[in-house]
Amino acid sequence: MATVPSICSKCLRQAIRSTPKSTTHRSFTASASKSPSTPPTRRIHHSTRQRTPAIEPQNHSNATPYTSGAVRGRQTDQAAAAQRQPSRVLLQPNNLFHSYTHSPSPEIRQRAAFMRQNAYCPHPDHHASPEGGEAAVAPPRHVSHECPDCGIPVSCSPDHFVDDYASHLEICDLLRQINEDDHDLLSGRFFPEFEYPGPQIDEAQVNLTNWDTLLYSREFNAVNEERPMRQVTRLLTYPITVGSVLHELSPYSLNDRLLPEGLRSLSALRHTLHPPRSGAGVDIKGLRPNPPPMRLFILGARAESSLPREVWLQLSHLFPRSSFHLIFIGPESMSGRDHEYPLPERTPINPFGQIVEDRLGGQMKISTYVEYYHTLHEAQHFHPFDPYFDAFVLFHPGLGHPASSHEWKETLPQLLETKCPVICTGYTEFDMERDISWVRESCGGEADLLMRPGENRFRSLRWDLNDADPGDVSCGNWGVWAFRGKRYEADEYRGKEGDGSGGWDR
Amino acid sequence: MPLGRIPQSSYYDARNRPGAALYRARQPYLVKNAVTGLFIIGFVAGVYSWTIRAIGQDDFSDVPMPDAPIQAGHAPHTTAGSRSAGPA
Repeated sequence: MATVPSICSKCLRQAIRSTPKSTTHRSFTASASKSPSTPPTRRIHHSTRQRTPAIEPQNHSNATPYTSGAVRGRQTDQAAAAQRQPSRVLLQPNNLFHSYTHSPSPEIRQRAAFMRQNAYCPHPDHHASPEGGEAAVAPPRHVSHECPDCGIPVSCSPDHFVDDYASHLEICDLLRQINEDDHDLLSGRFFPEFEYPGPQIDEAQVNLTNWDTLLYSREFNAVNEERPMRQVTRLLTYPITVGSVLHELSPYSLNDRLLPEGLRSLSALRHTLHPPRSGAGVDIKGLRPNPPPMRLFILGARAESSLPREVWLQLSHLFPRSSFHLIFIGPESMSGRDHEYPLPERTPINPFGQIVEDRLGGQMKISTYVEYYHTLHEAQHFHPFDPYFDAFVLFHPGLGHPASSHEWKETLPQLLETKCPVICTGYTEFDMERDISWVRESCGGEADLLMRPGENRFRSLRWDLNDADPGDVSCGNWGVWAFRGKRYEADEYRGKEGDGSGGWDR
Repeated sequence: MPLGRIPQSSYYDARNRPGAALYRARQPYLVKNAVTGLFIIGFVAGVYSWTIRAIGQDDFSDVPMPDAPIQAGHAPHTTAGSRSAGPA
């Protein structure tokens, strides 16, 4: 049933005119308020939007609420709704498992072809034996044989597959689940889990114990099945991980994984994020001076900078009285955002060609720089840094990964110099431990651990496949930890009980 | 069709029974709430039973009762024979 938007024609024309070029594909759709009795504070017209089905995370359907054509309408817009609805459902829920090579979807067939050209067979015969120093029994070959149970090409030949079956069995179930989830995204079904709720009233408390309590207390649509839960947490993990560390009701406490230095840094940030009520209102008498926004620098941004903006807005909905400025910095920060090219020119006003998105509801602004962080730091572009307002977030940075750690060499001392907390996540425990030991070795004693590494409560529940190596499954933001540059403060001498080791050994 | 939609929570199904998502959201608190509930009910039951016992009849079985007095055989005191000093 299509609901009619109730809005006057002037506002409709203004809304259509005012969508700026940089945000055409990322239209901020006003979500329908759940309880019609609460008056919306800063909106003149309260419109309920038509439900657009099959919203996929990658290609965001650019249906704004106002293009239905029914201006003063009494007509219901079934024609437009039918057009947006896919003409056929591609896959039924019990028909989601298909071999990648013979998949009904062309994207997955393309991925299977990519795997056959790039991934190598993991059988030990292809590797030289470590003790002997003799050459490998067989030269490395690309995968081509698919496992019949999980449908993903994992070995070069049926013999190697049978040989290595024991080690494949450990991940076969997981690979099958990944297979079905991938086909589920392309199955053309209606995705109620991708309808994100808007802001709540100030007094609403968010429960950050686990995904289920969070989704319930934030008034998401109920996600009863596991598969939609996996799909939605895969996107939401990015803002919610950051929010769960910074929020005052965070599940990480001194008893859990937080260290005293971490509590100091986070208390400073929480002072900004949860300001005392000032009696502010929407009229002239309610004008109050507002502090500057909290700046979150997301370094090494890759896929997270292309997340739909409604997903990032969930972060600002966790903190109703504060505003955010998210800054994506990294050479690959425009990956997945091809429609926003060409990048802005580098002018004296905009020396690094940043893309600014500020039409995101007034509580959030997102900037993107396609640049290394050390360049911006040396230019003092973001100075001065304030530990009450700034934090760095690194989503799976690969600090210790051999392929990428040289890129972080210059940035690490600069991060330590700012004395702002750096929240890092990792794909697996091994990945995180490697990052931590890299930081510990490269910091020269200048870093303090703020939060011990461990499993992230708000990790992505969906496992992802690495196309270049089908045996490598990872889930987004599996673990989280944090560090910061050491602060040397003049303090009274209290004996020898405080050690200056920085908490790395605890 | 009503003008404003009656707000419906997706956490309850069509027959207003809690759904799976609601059950999972409540799960960290189920045992603690049940134990707290038992404590509260036990406290109320304890107060109730103590009160009923406290206001019940006293037990005088440990008090030594004297024997009943020996009665002479005259009739009990009546008001029929005495003169009344009312307004005459």
